[in-house]
Amino acid sequence: MAGPELLLDSSIRLWVVLPIVFITFFVGVLRHYITQLIHNDKKVDLQQVSDSQVLLRSRILRENGKYLPKQSFAMRKHYFNNPETGFFKKVKRKVIPKNPMTDPSTLMDMMKGNLTNVLPMILIGGWINWAFSGFVTTKVPFPLTLRFKPMLQRGIELISLDASWVSSASWYFLNVFGLRSMYTLILGQDNAADQSRIMQDQMTGAAMAMPPDPNKAFKSEWESLEIVEHKWALENVEEELMRQDLNFRGLFN
Amino acid sequence: MSSISELYDVCWEEMRDKLRKWREENYRNSEQIVDVGEELINEHASKLGDDVWIIYEQVMIAALDCSRDDLAWSCLQELKRQFPDSHRVKRLAGMRLEALERYEDANKLYDSILQDDPTNTVTRKRKISILQAQGKSSEAIRELNEYLEQFVGDQEAWHELSELYINEHDYAKAAFCLEELMMTNPHNHLYCEQYAEVKYTQGGLENLELARKYFAQALKLNNRNMRALFGLYMSASHIAASPKVSAKVKKDNVKYAAWATSQISRAYQVRGTQECTLGVFPVRLEDSCHTLLMEPPLL
Repeated sequence: MAGPELLLDSSIRLWVVLPIVFITFFVGVLRHYITQLIHNDKKVDLQQVSDSQVLLRSRILRENGKYLPKQSFAMRKHYFNNPETGFFKKVKRKVIPKNPMTDPSTLMDMMKGNLTNVLPMILIGGWINWAFSGFVTTKVPFPLTLRFKPMLQRGIELISLDASWVSSASWYFLNVFGLRSMYTLILGQDNAADQSRIMQDQMTGAAMAMPPDPNKAFKSEWESLEIVEHKWALENVEEELMRQDLNFRGLFN
Repeated sequence: MSSISELYDVCWEEMRDKLRKWREENYRNSEQIVDVGEELINEHASKLGDDVWIIYEQVMIAALDCSRDDLAWSCLQELKRQFPDSHRVKRLAGMRLEALERYEDANKLYDSILQDDPTNTVTRKRKISILQAQGKSSEAIRELNEYLEQFVGDQEAWHELSELYINEHDYAKAAFCLEELMMTNPHNHLYCEQYAEVKYTQGGLENLELARKYFAQALKLNNRNMRALFGLYMSASHIAASPKVSAKVKKDNVKYAAWATSQISRAYQVRGTQECTLGVFPVRLEDSCHTLLMEPPLL
């Protein structure tokens, strides 16, 4: 049942919708810069970096091993998977589960994360709720069920009002998540204003942050390497090459 | 002495962009960098903004290459003033000590950086290059092996190690390093070609076959790799000339060699029909092949 189409005062658009967009956007940018200021450089562990590079090498062996001669591939596979002396079988890392409550550095990081991300959202959400209450702001383009009404229409006690008409607080939350791509445009990738992404530091080379349990990673890598067979890509390379004349265009420029 | 901007009629933005291009593409034209960079720093430092620091670093390294210690020292002072506790600046100070051949002082400096930050790969590689500069190649090889045990993914290091092994004539180990590089960069024709050359140098029927295959792969990846083409011809003709092969293998290899020959003469024809200032004289194929493959591998 399509409810009666409400005609909203155009000053709502001017004084509510647009200001909320601007407020959200600028608070996001502010959050990005503040996070950068109080951000600590994460100390990297040599062991972790080394392990992640080993896993990367094993993965590359699986993918590109077919370009190596059979002997070399067998040698490397043996190095990793040999039942007695293979790397994945022999190396067991001691895993200390990092308890977030007792480890001071992670506690600090958590606190900082909360401070910069959650607190502003709550404060501003509450302020908008108080300042812009008592009227509908906008209509979402798809129909919603009645269950959404108390959530989206806080402050407006009308039973007959369609659930698609939402209050300013929900418009604010829509903005918070919707402006994500705007932040990427203006602040570049990896920006701290983007709440739905976790920040990761770039370590040496292509090493990624290790999953908390390297032993599990080793085991799964061992399994995947076991089943890989060597199919040499260079079996018929001469025949393929000599099918046609070489293309010398641009050779002598 | 006229400045660069007058000589080439460029403005400071173009000079800055040129420096950036050289930096990003890892050129090593140190004299040019010193000329352009020195003028940029002396005349236009204020206009560069935050770019000036990375230009200081670039110019300093180029100055060390050209033995311009005065310029290197002034760049280092500026950087030290701006970034007093930085590992990167400390490393540059170490490089300057290396250039002055004060290797023990440089080593001490690098050790202090590594104590603070054991994962600093650049510093560890500088220590290894000190060993190389002192001519202690076996120790350099040992240190580089230890480094690679921890940082298996560092391709620059694998390449350096393969060069060290080639200099020591340990071709089997050099081939291993090049295999690592081929594995991580399967579409790079230069690694294939270098690997094939090492295999060819090792000799023996199996290695010659492998060499021929990898020369062919290099050609497949890049049709214009003339060295690989000559290498293909050489390895095929050597296998064909060997007394121990079966008739079929001999026939195949003669066919490959003949095909390679036809391609080479085609390349010379293409060259001959183009306008060129130097004349190209059609040399005897065997002579050119021999001289080309007697040289040490490229890079």
